[in-house]
Amino acid sequence: MAADSWIRLTHRPQWRFAFLAGPGALFIVIALLLPLLTIVVFSFWRTESYEIYADWNLDNYRLLLGEAAYRIFFLRSLITSVLVSLACLVIAWPIAYFIARYGGRYRLLLVLLLAAPFFTGIILRVTGLQALFGPIGLINMALGEFGIPPIGALMYTQFAAGVGLVYLYVPFMVTAIYLSLVNFNFELLEVAKINGAHPWRAFIEITWPLNWIGTAIGLVLVFIPCLASAVTQRFLGGPQATSFGMSLAQQFGETGTWALGSAMGVFLFFASLVVILAMRRTIDLKRSGFTGVINQ
Amino acid sequence: MTHRGTRWGSVVMGVMLFALYVFLYAPVFYVIFASFSADIVWPFPPAFSAMSYEDLFASSLYGGALVNSLTLGIGSAVLSTLLATGGAIGILRYRARWRGLALLLFLAPLFVAELLIGISTLAFNAKVLDLQGNMYSAIAANAIPGTSFAFLIILSQLVRYDWAMDDAAMVFGAGPLRCFLEITLPIIWPCLFGAFLISFILAFNNLEISFYNLGAIPTLPSVAWGSLRFGLGPELFALASMVNFVVFAIFAIMYVLMRYRIVQFGYRGP
Repeated sequence: MAADSWIRLTHRPQWRFAFLAGPGALFIVIALLLPLLTIVVFSFWRTESYEIYADWNLDNYRLLLGEAAYRIFFLRSLITSVLVSLACLVIAWPIAYFIARYGGRYRLLLVLLLAAPFFTGIILRVTGLQALFGPIGLINMALGEFGIPPIGALMYTQFAAGVGLVYLYVPFMVTAIYLSLVNFNFELLEVAKINGAHPWRAFIEITWPLNWIGTAIGLVLVFIPCLASAVTQRFLGGPQATSFGMSLAQQFGETGTWALGSAMGVFLFFASLVVILAMRRTIDLKRSGFTGVINQ
Repeated sequence: MTHRGTRWGSVVMGVMLFALYVFLYAPVFYVIFASFSADIVWPFPPAFSAMSYEDLFASSLYGGALVNSLTLGIGSAVLSTLLATGGAIGILRYRARWRGLALLLFLAPLFVAELLIGISTLAFNAKVLDLQGNMYSAIAANAIPGTSFAFLIILSQLVRYDWAMDDAAMVFGAGPLRCFLEITLPIIWPCLFGAFLISFILAFNNLEISFYNLGAIPTLPSVAWGSLRFGLGPELFALASMVNFVVFAIFAIMYVLMRYRIVQFGYRGP
């Protein structure tokens, strides 16, 4: 009898759901949320000569908000991330559209080709970019051969760091928009055409709004890592490009001030959260076209 | 019948795609090119040599780092794909009460920067669990964003899946496991493969999460990071090139399989 009722219990959808989605959800709680909680706690503690002590205070936040240097680092990261996200948006849309619409059976391969450079680690790729952009890089040396002065904007400037970030994150944007477009019904555009809509109008009124969720996810996927980026600025940005992420990484590395670093991490997390919530407000699920999950 | 404007548009978009490939692969090809040249700092005009490959095979550091990177990538990808598959099927199929919360949890890591995942897991491991850097922590930490990306890929493909097929099999007496193995898996495997591949790539070459979780265990990115202080070793260029050769070989095989329609990889068109 006991076995029988057990079988009936496991047939209930709630239990099936818990069995399937439970492990992953639990994993995220333990591996992601608990550590984030840890740095929230640490941000109110104090570090002294590489050791962290549990006396509660607000000094880390006071330093973070009071010191002009941190404000500049943060604003610099914020502006860079906004510009990089917009650049990725403009580049990624036509490309994702092309792959989804005209890629045919090679669609998956075309998308995977965008991901393949990730096999070469970030450091080697950034070094490769440096080798193309830098003062003795391919582009500037080639210009020199023809007697043209080198392009200063590409050498150790914030612009170069921005190009590097676009380079690193544009594949994420393309993939997000592509995943949205492969679920988009292109026949809707035929209907619009039959009813006399210009392709541009059909794009603005049908394609764009129905794929906004994928686009918004893409924007967030580019914005969040850019806001925290450290490595790219370090190699491509030159002395004027110290980012918030670089300063944060330093607290956990060279200087060993974990408490201040934790406060910076918490600040970064909330800054990201504000952006995510702002993006969330722009999403209207009823007009998303993505009805599979939520409105079933 | 095609609108002339749209045809031009598609040509422009195709050119943009090509330009993006050139942009994305230029540094990769530079690395490959430099690995074959005698002087990696300024490899022009080309003077070919296989020196860096000889040095690579003579050194033990890089082999160990490659094995560590592979272990990390495969472990993390297996974990990510399993958790994400369960999550995506559970959320799409059952109208459970906690569905919204589960969806939020599965997507949450996408909204946390890697640097933040790295430092917070470091703080948690070191001060709460009292753990030194180790491979298991690194696999788990890399599987955090891996699970989210795998989940997103699987979800976007499974949205169109028709669960009535599974219900039909169940009516004829198939158990849930048999139903999954014989009906669901043969249809959805390309997207599981895609999810596995993406989470593997992310973990294999991750710098910021692995750096804080691995302690002194070397991986390819951390060796690259370490050797930057002395100028990048030509061996590293050679190793990266060899990894790329394997990747390109896999893509070439995929292309042949698709060209002759042996495997469709999820494409169900004409």
